[in-house]
Amino acid sequence: MTDAFIADLRRIAGDDGVFSEPLDVLTYECDALTHLRTAPAAVVLPSSAGQVQEIVRLCAAHGIPFVARGHGTGLSGGATPVEGGIVIALSRLNRVRSVDIANRRVTVEPGVTNLEITRQVAPFGCYYAPDPSSQQVCSIGGNVAENSGGAHCLKYGFTVHHVLAADVVLPSGELVQLGSEFADPVGPDLLGLLIGSEGTLGIVTSVTVRILRKPESVQTLLAAFDTIDAGGAAVSGIIAAGIIPAAIEMMDTLAIEAAEAAVHPGFPQADTVLIVELDGPDAEVRALFGMVEDICRRSGATTIEVARTEEQRARIWRGRKAAFAAMGRVSPNYYVQDGVVPRTRLPEVLSRIRDLERTSGLRIGNVFHAGDGNLHPLICYDEKIAGQAEQAEAVAAEILSYCIEAGGSLTGEHGIGADKSQYMPKMFNDVDLSLMKRVRDVFDPGGLCNPGKVFPTPRLCGEVPGPYRAHPAERAGAAERF
Amino acid sequence: LSVALRGTSIADLRFDGQAIRTRAAEADRDSVDGIVPDLVVEAESPGAVAASLQWADQHSLSTVIRGSGSKLHCGAVPAAVDVLLDVSRVSRILQHRGGDLTVKVEAGARLHDVNELLQQRGQWLPMDPPFADCATIGGLLATNDSGPQRHRFGTPRDLVIGIEVATMDGHIAKAGGQVVKNVAGYDLSKIMSGSFGSLAAIVAATFKLSPVPAASSTILVPHLDADAMGRVVEAVSASQLEPVAFELDVRAPLAGTPEIACLLRFTSFRAVVEAETANASARIAAVRPAFRVLTGDQEREFWLAYRRRPWEEPGIVVRASWLPGSIGDVLSMVRNLSREAAIEVIGRTGIGSGLFRIDAGREIQLDVVARMRASGTFGNVVVLRAPAPLKTREWVWGPATASASVAAALKRELDPRGLLGAGRGPL
Repeated sequence: MTDAFIADLRRIAGDDGVFSEPLDVLTYECDALTHLRTAPAAVVLPSSAGQVQEIVRLCAAHGIPFVARGHGTGLSGGATPVEGGIVIALSRLNRVRSVDIANRRVTVEPGVTNLEITRQVAPFGCYYAPDPSSQQVCSIGGNVAENSGGAHCLKYGFTVHHVLAADVVLPSGELVQLGSEFADPVGPDLLGLLIGSEGTLGIVTSVTVRILRKPESVQTLLAAFDTIDAGGAAVSGIIAAGIIPAAIEMMDTLAIEAAEAAVHPGFPQADTVLIVELDGPDAEVRALFGMVEDICRRSGATTIEVARTEEQRARIWRGRKAAFAAMGRVSPNYYVQDGVVPRTRLPEVLSRIRDLERTSGLRIGNVFHAGDGNLHPLICYDEKIAGQAEQAEAVAAEILSYCIEAGGSLTGEHGIGADKSQYMPKMFNDVDLSLMKRVRDVFDPGGLCNPGKVFPTPRLCGEVPGPYRAHPAERAGAAERF
Repeated sequence: LSVALRGTSIADLRFDGQAIRTRAAEADRDSVDGIVPDLVVEAESPGAVAASLQWADQHSLSTVIRGSGSKLHCGAVPAAVDVLLDVSRVSRILQHRGGDLTVKVEAGARLHDVNELLQQRGQWLPMDPPFADCATIGGLLATNDSGPQRHRFGTPRDLVIGIEVATMDGHIAKAGGQVVKNVAGYDLSKIMSGSFGSLAAIVAATFKLSPVPAASSTILVPHLDADAMGRVVEAVSASQLEPVAFELDVRAPLAGTPEIACLLRFTSFRAVVEAETANASARIAAVRPAFRVLTGDQEREFWLAYRRRPWEEPGIVVRASWLPGSIGDVLSMVRNLSREAAIEVIGRTGIGSGLFRIDAGREIQLDVVARMRASGTFGNVVVLRAPAPLKTREWVWGPATASASVAAALKRELDPRGLLGAGRGPL
């Protein structure tokens, strides 16, 4: 990257909006998937959509790759910089543009946090439904890129179900609105395509989301089980009874232990705990909650704790939402996976994971969205022990293969990013990937917009070149590379 | 059968070593806005659909894809249709995973048949579009059509979790998957939604399902004026009621007083429906004491007739959207327009989207649509049904938006010769 290019960036974003010194760009070397790191040639912080356009046009003119970044909480390396490219950090685009209660919508810039939207509308009895665990800090722009879900997406869906319109700077520098302030935009749903495209089709500079009226009633219970199968049976029983809870979450012993160590939610000592939350009209929650309690009991729940107060409910969720970060209390390092299996295949896949735990010698905690089959195995390792990091990665890959074999997906909500792009051929064949690539090329013919993500490449950016080295687990026959 | 399509032989229209079924088009059942296709291709498998598209592409034949044909009236009048690709035989229900609340079906399967099977197992694909008896899955996705229960369940694009499409190069590609939560790869089902068959042919799709509710009831509040309708909407919106449908029903005779009604439907377990109905009734009674509660067969028949109504009477049918908070403006606009045309509206109050049937002479029909587009109250005004002489591309789909260039580029990539849809739009 030339000094002239950096000077042009400074002209656009101001001296205080461009960093290129190694120490200054350090923060931007990775997102929350910290083991993938690349130093960007520069970081630019635009403060308007117009500046984003100018920066993107400049990149297009010079063939410089760019990676948009929200608040860097992504777990798949979707915001990992590209060698020789720039990071366009959107944290200064953080204004709430309009709060329109009458029309049930809020328009914000991409750097506004997920939770801030709910804060804006809570005084009017409304909220924004998607609630990823990182909602206090994650940006809505990142949510759009990743199609974020959260614990409550079983009933309420994902980001794609809650965004009405977005202003997008295309890789050409053109600014377009996708979606519409009115329902039923004419033509193919390009907004729906953009959401979840992991920053590879454009950069959002404004997002209009739908807000919902808060439900009349919310009830949460925590049920403990002696076996994961019993917990799984309760989940199946609830769905079979025709009940769609707002959330059904499961945690295993290791995850419970970690959460207890970190935030003391007062979870029972058990093999498995199940958190079930129902929301909706009073009458509905009252009627269905009794059914859920019965199903849990019949499935072998050893204890059932019903949250009687908002404080108790918050405590249960604190335990669940802190579980990832809490793994730091029980293991020096951990690797989070995000595979999905059809709900009915959960017991079988979980039992394979427990077998893998035994054969690999690495502890694996399980915290997951049981209602929709989205696993979050937490693979514990110690990077100071030679080979363990690689082994953890191989174990993670093995777990993904179980998910695919069961008819599931590589990722439920964290995205493919740079982390899992090499596994895409396990789920999609050449024809599938080629059609997706053609769609990508329509938006980004120059391949400058977040390259190296989603699509498998012969070698990942940032990966050390050289001959392929087998992982210890592969050599031991515990895992295979795909 | 000997059909000369610009000298093309149909002998090479084959899949898996077998000739793909073709027949001559019949004017009464195969024409598209009065244009009789040169050939009808009756594909019987996804592979045959893909092979047919590749064949059409190789020979530059304009192609219209048809499921049951229930929405073939949508779109501009084609210049010519070389091939009508009928996919109604590609209709297997491939997999119902009850415990996972998912179903995978081929595109030509009828919603009615899918739901009949699912209902035996206590589940349904929650769509209640206008032509529910014959509409196919592929057509529903391509048009993103929906009905009153959109209020709760969304449109087909909100329910689809996986898709398989046949492209003009003869390939079948998939996106999404079989699980309700999945962000791997691009969600190509979205670009099929609203494409009206102009980008590729949908051959199969997977959906998330809902349990069939045990009970249902509908509150019908008739004889409202615009002000009272506004107050009913306010009362419901301010509450924490969770209806599955929340409808605006307007019948405005030419130069008369509009009859306005509001409809609220609740479905769930019996005790819940009773409690919600009682709660809603109390709130509505404060605005308008005279209303009816429909249940059982009476309710079922009411909704069937309601959804069909705009399509069974004369006039053009227009889909238009508005901001949910501007219901007062919508009603006053309808009242103004009804000075020159009889107008009927059935619409989703909470979403701000509805069907407008406009019965008047052609000049007035053109004028009403133009006024709706210019009003600022309405957006995304699309003419779904109109006499062929009126249906130019611009009039049917409305003025191009800023993102039209992206959609056009997508069209050029997927259908470089511009054959799919035969110029009917939107692409």
